[in-house]
Amino acid sequence: MGNMPKADMPSGALVLLILRVLRSGVLHGYAIAQKIHLLSSEVLHVEEGSLYPALQKILLKGWVTAEWGISETNRKVRFYRLTPAGRKQLEAELSEYDRVNEAIQSVLRTA
Amino acid sequence: MNELFRRVRYLLQRRRFDQELANDLDFHREMADRAGSPLRNTLQLREAARDAWGWTWIDRFAQDLRYAVRMLRKSPGFTLAAVLMLAIGIGVNVAVFGFFDLMVLRPLNVRDPATLLRFHRRSPQNYAFAMPYPEMAFFRDHSRTLSAVMALNTTKVAMEGEDKQIDAAFVTANFFSELGATRRLGRLLDPSRDEAPGAPAVVVLDQGFWQRHFGADPLVIGKTIRLNDQPVMIVGVAGSEFSGLSMNQSAMWAPLTQQPYFATGSLLLTDFTANSVRMWGRLQPGFAPKASEAELQSLAAQLRKQHPAEIWEKETLPSDPGGYAKSMMIGDRSGSGSESQGELIPMIALVATLGLLILAVACGNLGSLLLARGAAREREIAIRIAVGAGKSRLIRQLFTESLVLALLGSIAGLAVGWAAQSSLMRLTDSPAWLNPAPDWRVALFALGAGFASAILFGLTPALHVARQRHRATIARQILVGAQVAASCVLLIVAGLLSRALNHALSADPGFAYQQVISIDPGLGRHGYTPARAQTYMETLQARLRALPGVESVAQAQSPPLGRRSEIAGIDIDGRRMRVQVNRFDPQFFQTMRVPLLRGRNLVRGETHAAVVSESFARAASPGQDPLGKKSFVGEDDTVVGIAGSARLVKIEDSDSVEVYLPLTLDDLPGTSVLVKTSAAPENLLRSVASAAKAIDPNTFPEVRLMKSEFRQKLRGGESSALAVSALGSVADLLACLGIVGVVAYAVSQRPREIGIRMALGARPAHILAVVLRQFSRPVAAGLLVGVGGAAALSGLLRGQLYGLSNFDPAAYLGAIALFVLTVLGAALWPARRALRVDPMKALRHE
Repeated sequence: MGNMPKADMPSGALVLLILRVLRSGVLHGYAIAQKIHLLSSEVLHVEEGSLYPALQKILLKGWVTAEWGISETNRKVRFYRLTPAGRKQLEAELSEYDRVNEAIQSVLRTA
Repeated sequence: MNELFRRVRYLLQRRRFDQELANDLDFHREMADRAGSPLRNTLQLREAARDAWGWTWIDRFAQDLRYAVRMLRKSPGFTLAAVLMLAIGIGVNVAVFGFFDLMVLRPLNVRDPATLLRFHRRSPQNYAFAMPYPEMAFFRDHSRTLSAVMALNTTKVAMEGEDKQIDAAFVTANFFSELGATRRLGRLLDPSRDEAPGAPAVVVLDQGFWQRHFGADPLVIGKTIRLNDQPVMIVGVAGSEFSGLSMNQSAMWAPLTQQPYFATGSLLLTDFTANSVRMWGRLQPGFAPKASEAELQSLAAQLRKQHPAEIWEKETLPSDPGGYAKSMMIGDRSGSGSESQGELIPMIALVATLGLLILAVACGNLGSLLLARGAAREREIAIRIAVGAGKSRLIRQLFTESLVLALLGSIAGLAVGWAAQSSLMRLTDSPAWLNPAPDWRVALFALGAGFASAILFGLTPALHVARQRHRATIARQILVGAQVAASCVLLIVAGLLSRALNHALSADPGFAYQQVISIDPGLGRHGYTPARAQTYMETLQARLRALPGVESVAQAQSPPLGRRSEIAGIDIDGRRMRVQVNRFDPQFFQTMRVPLLRGRNLVRGETHAAVVSESFARAASPGQDPLGKKSFVGEDDTVVGIAGSARLVKIEDSDSVEVYLPLTLDDLPGTSVLVKTSAAPENLLRSVASAAKAIDPNTFPEVRLMKSEFRQKLRGGESSALAVSALGSVADLLACLGIVGVVAYAVSQRPREIGIRMALGARPAHILAVVLRQFSRPVAAGLLVGVGGAAALSGLLRGQLYGLSNFDPAAYLGAIALFVLTVLGAALWPARRALRVDPMKALRHE
């Protein structure tokens, strides 16, 4: 639906990426999308249609909290902060990701 | 867990979180605009994000609900018809369930009803729902699993200034305190005061009796009245909400230990031979009913060592939950063989089946109504589909409307059921403590019935309408057929039942009752030995025979139509039979005008002989001569004669079978005397009563006209026949309403076709035939299924309920004729509208 060429990603991966970019500090929704876009060398484009539902889900899970702050454009907006539970979840998902990734790699290498 | 809390917080503070989300998205849009990649519809984004909270369904449901209420308010006629139909269907079932709840599920208004147990005696040969007082006392004194034992003996007492004897109950003095009864005035019975040896005689009045008889005078407390000629002081009045433990409302309660004071010579407190009291126990905390039963069984075995003749071999004391009205309905039956089951549950099951059928008919009607309405809402539905409503959303919307209807119907049905139940209970004089007000179980039942009906009447039409298949002829025809079938079953079964009852009630009961007086001197209550009773009985019979206008006199163990009856359960060639056992002297057949068909009469003093009724002979040994065979009831007795069938105990039971055994000396203290008069028996009542009283002034003989007993029995039967017919009429009415609706709809849908036919010169009869033809097949199919269903149901019922004939052509034909006529009338009424169609207008229509 967006105008950009899109690289769709499963919602599990999106959650992992959101948690990961929040590890280095609080960000608002737009900044999360931007940061993922930039850090992926502009390969990954986060759809707003999936970003906000994912954020709501993460809020419900208690992995992040929202707090009011002032944006770079001087506007009141919510910033998201990783909670200890979120940090734990991120560690778990990272190691799981590594494990699966390694498994896939070894299949790709040897098969 | 935390997640659940957060989710609930999102529900409760939805507005705030929604605004925050909106702010997020607005900001995102601003930033995206700056970056030159404008954002799509933020409202849609917001909705998608909100979905994650998991509360969307509530919003949608509220929306559907608002819409449904608006739609129903827009067509008040339809809403009213639908709610009325549901109110009748649900109301009938609420009344039936309410009655079941009152009898079986709702605990009595007594303290801690869950730990109350009612005990009865059982052995491989015998059972009794009452036991000797000393046996009860032995259990009371030795049981460690029961914290209290209560006993009850209901009787009649003569009160000064009263012609009729009054229902009274002798109870253990712990009765009131143990059951947590409230007093209205004065005090209730007290074990320490009223059970002490030599305690003055006291009595506690029932509030209703106090109001009727003493004009609610508070000064009666402390007054002395005479009961059975003995002075006794009124010490208190029990509150009317106190149920006691017996179904027939006692006018007063007195301590059991004082019973001999009122019945001179009574051996009740020491006699092991008579089953005189009903026993309840309260479980000690921590014990199960089974533990108590086991304990009482071993206590009975101990007691048997001292009383080997009276305590039965292998006697057990099974218990029933005692805190429910059902345990009162057991009464104090006794008999041999296996216990006879009560008729309460089969009766309720039957009425419940009929009630459910009525609900099914009501649902069928509503289904057709909704289908018709769906066709009328074609445009609205089409528009909603056009603007993007999905099928599932539409079905949900339509079903929500049905749910709202069902909820309204449940509430109205609850009111209808309550009204029906309480007026029925007022008609039948049920005791004041039986409160017909619905409790949570009944309310829940009404809601459940409403929900189930919503599924039944709402889902199929919703599916059809949402799929835009409004010309759902097949569905409509199936609905009509199902309605016809269900109403047909109802009408036929109602016809069968009321005819069976009426037949049993109007047919000759097989004995003459119009000119018979029964006298129960209650000798056993006054401690008469068999020998003394024999002298008394002979004197009484001689004096009665000497009275002018007396034709014949007989002695009977349990007089016809009386409260007492003896039932034997026997097995003949593997078939169970319940036999009414009657013990009489040889004059009985002549006195009651029961014909002796073959063989000979019983001879005074003989044993091992029995006369059986013709109905018994037919049932026990079909196609064989029963004379000289065993009757299987008494101890190896031989059948010496066959008498006419007489329904001596249950006049409504045309299947009743009797065996007559000779009276033995031991039976005499419990027997009654029957007097056949040559003229109107009323004139002899007084002289018969004084003749009996003169022999022993200490006794209080109960003298009754058999024809008034008979009339009383008839009334009970007539009211059940009336109730069943009322159910049948309700079903018929509902079916007619349904047919009216469906035909009216069919006519309204085809004005063009009718107009063309009329314009081309079709005759009225032809047009009616065209309109009604589409219903002939479903009605015929429904009738067939209905007749089959009724036959199957009555076959089942026959095993449970007396007097129901499986094949009663009059009932079948009558019900079908009535049904066809009413349905035809119901169909013709709206169909006439078709004839009034103006061809010109009809052709311009649409």
